[in-house]
Amino acid sequence: MKFRPEELKELIRDAAEGEKFPLAKLITELEKPNSFEFRKLLFDTLEKSDFSGNSSLTVGLTGTPGAGKSSLLGEFSTEFLKRFPEKKMAVVAVDPSSHISGGSFLGDRTRLSLPTREKRIYFRSQPSQLELGGVNPYTYHVIRLLRCFFDFVFVETVGIGQNEIEVSKLADLSFLVMVPLGGDQIQFMKSGIMEVPDAFILNKCDEEALAKASYHTLTHTLEFLRDLSPGGSVPPVFMTSVKTKRGISDLLEYIVSEKPGDKREEETLLQIRKWVKNEYGNFGTRILSEIRFPKNANYETCETLAETEIGKRFKDGSAIRTE
Amino acid sequence: MEKKDHILYDKSGNPSKEPAWIFRTYAGHTNAKESNELFRKNLSKGQTGLSIAFDLPTQCGYSSDHSIARPEIGKVGVPINTLEDFRILFDQIPIEEMNTSMTINGTSMWLLSLYVALAEERGEDVSKLQGTTQNDIIKEYLARGTYIFPPEHSIRVIVDMYEYCLKKIPKWNPSNICSYHLQEAGATPVQELAFALATAMAILDAIKERNCFTHEEFEQCVGRISFFVNAGIRFIEEMCKMRSFTEMWDEITAKQYDVKSEKFRRFRYGVQVNSLGLTEEQPENNAWRILIEALGVTLSKDARCRALQLPAWNEALSLPRPWDQQWSLRLQQVLAYETDLLEYPDLFEGSKVVESKVKELIENANKEIQKIKEMGGAIRAIDNGYMKSQLVKSQAERLAKINNNELVIVGKNKWKEGIPSPLTNDPDGGIFKVDPKSAEQTLKVLAEVKAKRDPKRAAESLARLEEDAKNGKNLMYASIECAKALVSTGEWADVLRKVFGEYRPATGVEGQKLNLETEKVAIVRSKVEKFLKDTGARPKIVVGKPGLDGHSNGAEMIAVSAKHAGFDVIYSGIRLTPEDIVQSAVEENANVIGVSILSGSHIELAEQIFQELKHYKAEIPVVFGGIIPASDFETLKKIGVKAIFTPKDYDLMDVMEKIIDILSKAPVAA
Repeated sequence: MKFRPEELKELIRDAAEGEKFPLAKLITELEKPNSFEFRKLLFDTLEKSDFSGNSSLTVGLTGTPGAGKSSLLGEFSTEFLKRFPEKKMAVVAVDPSSHISGGSFLGDRTRLSLPTREKRIYFRSQPSQLELGGVNPYTYHVIRLLRCFFDFVFVETVGIGQNEIEVSKLADLSFLVMVPLGGDQIQFMKSGIMEVPDAFILNKCDEEALAKASYHTLTHTLEFLRDLSPGGSVPPVFMTSVKTKRGISDLLEYIVSEKPGDKREEETLLQIRKWVKNEYGNFGTRILSEIRFPKNANYETCETLAETEIGKRFKDGSAIRTE
Repeated sequence: MEKKDHILYDKSGNPSKEPAWIFRTYAGHTNAKESNELFRKNLSKGQTGLSIAFDLPTQCGYSSDHSIARPEIGKVGVPINTLEDFRILFDQIPIEEMNTSMTINGTSMWLLSLYVALAEERGEDVSKLQGTTQNDIIKEYLARGTYIFPPEHSIRVIVDMYEYCLKKIPKWNPSNICSYHLQEAGATPVQELAFALATAMAILDAIKERNCFTHEEFEQCVGRISFFVNAGIRFIEEMCKMRSFTEMWDEITAKQYDVKSEKFRRFRYGVQVNSLGLTEEQPENNAWRILIEALGVTLSKDARCRALQLPAWNEALSLPRPWDQQWSLRLQQVLAYETDLLEYPDLFEGSKVVESKVKELIENANKEIQKIKEMGGAIRAIDNGYMKSQLVKSQAERLAKINNNELVIVGKNKWKEGIPSPLTNDPDGGIFKVDPKSAEQTLKVLAEVKAKRDPKRAAESLARLEEDAKNGKNLMYASIECAKALVSTGEWADVLRKVFGEYRPATGVEGQKLNLETEKVAIVRSKVEKFLKDTGARPKIVVGKPGLDGHSNGAEMIAVSAKHAGFDVIYSGIRLTPEDIVQSAVEENANVIGVSILSGSHIELAEQIFQELKHYKAEIPVVFGGIIPASDFETLKKIGVKAIFTPKDYDLMDVMEKIIDILSKAPVAA
């Protein structure tokens, strides 16, 4: 642990006021392995200081490389800062890692033109620690922290396939960003990803004819999928273009009018389950299903309880008898 | 009288000598007044054309009084704001007799408009003006960085210039097709051929799409295309490349564009030989390199250059002095006038070796061109990042070979011990330094012009420019009117930025791998892993290019190397402010900032970076790299820079090791 309680409180106060470097330091601590002690102190202190993050909206953005998510976010943030001067937003961009050296290019800043010294916006890259886009173990905790200080937290990932489901479980609102090309629709239909997002963004709609054709193909596909699952509704599709600034306002209105979901508790349990499975495998998962967690307990409380319970079972040998 | 194969005959059958190519010196810096004096001196020394370099604010569309311009005024070229600066620059120079080459791209239209306005003001016959505006915007996205607008709008501006020149200045070359800068960014001969010709086709396609030329006029446009080519040390291959260009261009223009006139199909090119291969170590060797490179574009009569521009021997150290430029000019004069080079027909006609090499280059270049065509052409291949990533890949491969000693660079990775060069023993250290007061002269002239001009006329001309831009009109006419109204460079560019937007291309580093697995790599990686173990996080480096310089090679190689070593790398490309770079580092809580500067503005930019770090109360170590003279090291260290790397620090893993060592010593900020 690097910080004394007083130092931590000062960092939190500065971060709440929009100071970038204190916030960056807190995030770095969360990104380290074995961050439990720090997390416990941090989130306990935050709760005591009335930073719950419960009113913050988490928005997930995923899509193939080249779909233009970063430029779109850049244009979106410009519009956001202009029209909602009392609101704050943060962006977490998850990048693929190199599996050879472990190093990675955190490249999403390339396409973004962020204002300098602006306290209402914060951008952070992090490697995914996976070959393809996904969410690394500590991204969840970074999001938890950012929710305490920002009205909107955007999580951007790149890739196609199973990993995208992770983003949607962390987000109150998740978008799949696509470009007007038929081939992508076919790919996505096969991958099953089409049923995950709450909404779709057809980006790079610079050419009217192609954009319209793709829009209709996509909406027809979605209507088809809706008919396969009774009670579902067709998710909205936004046509956007950074080049022509099309559709940015509509997207902004949609996002700003959304309310954060009430699934924080469910989310916490989901993350605990994921951690337990990684740490203890099926053995741990079985024990976990028997634990009754206190209502609205935060992650660290659940983690402590789970670890204690699993340790207890392991120690008294009852688990062995079960196997 | 029987003709001999080794004698060059003229049309009358008499033995003759071919005229010498045009000698150029890339000149112009400090301010308009001092550049004018330099031009007049060079003309009196026998130079036969003007080749003008403009400073970065001028190239990137900023007036000298803009805050981003301040550190860069007059550093790598002459600052030009208004017509008044052109009056000063060309004072006592008869522009109607000159062949003037302007190295200008994003703001080409503006500089040509100033030139036309000056000629009209002097009462000259504008139709007699001769010269070239470089105006190859496509290579700016790939290798040099002085673009402003998105590709489609930039191309529109270029076609406007072709249309205007065809009607008003028939002898002016509105644009070059530049492969020079591609080679400086790592292009292989095949890539140089393919990318340059794909660019030329993109321009011709755009001209055709304008659909305002008769076919005869279109053929004249084709005839106006000239190329600006590079030539490296492999001078036989380079000569073959020139012959390949000649053959391919003739075929492209004949078959694809139906150009019937043989005259208009001729491949016309000027050249500046390679600077990338010049070394900071034993810089006197560069004089021989330059001579050998010159042979590549002069030996073959059928592929000889029309104009030649040689870098100075000390360009890897800093800006060349007038004396250094004179030395390069003398080389050309000796070659053209003292030797018998110009007395022969083509030396390589009928050579099986040359024919075979040329054939191979053409085959490979055509394959590459086909690939680009399948993507939809050069503009599409830029937007999707293909061409840029290919250049970064070639440069990474070249540097890996140098590091592995597969590619010998005398004095750099072999025969490194030697007697220190007396050429750098002058009090100025063998380099040119811009007098800081010279920028004041520029700012003073600009302030006077703005105070004295007719503000109504200036505002009206800018309003017309905006209107014409929105309505798709030819912008040359409004631009010339702006010039006469004493509008400034930044004012002109800002209007067009407003209408067209500003462009941020792909960096080309994503997905790159470095083929370098030496013992040193393993050592550096183990140090990185130790850092990871000690601190719990991978070392994170922000690689930044502050200011207006767009030469991104060095930054890209550091970014690729850092990733290879195990760093997490944040690299956002060119055209960043120090504030942008520091903000990235602060938000990402980077462990180090690596700054790349080649424009001579390192001291000013260092001060700005540390001022910004102070604002955030962030103590992140900063290292510098680029063209930085040793005499400035002490000053930079005092400002706070931890390490300084120059072209002699070519061993990429050596650089990474020094950086990780700095991080390992520093108390790790949490």
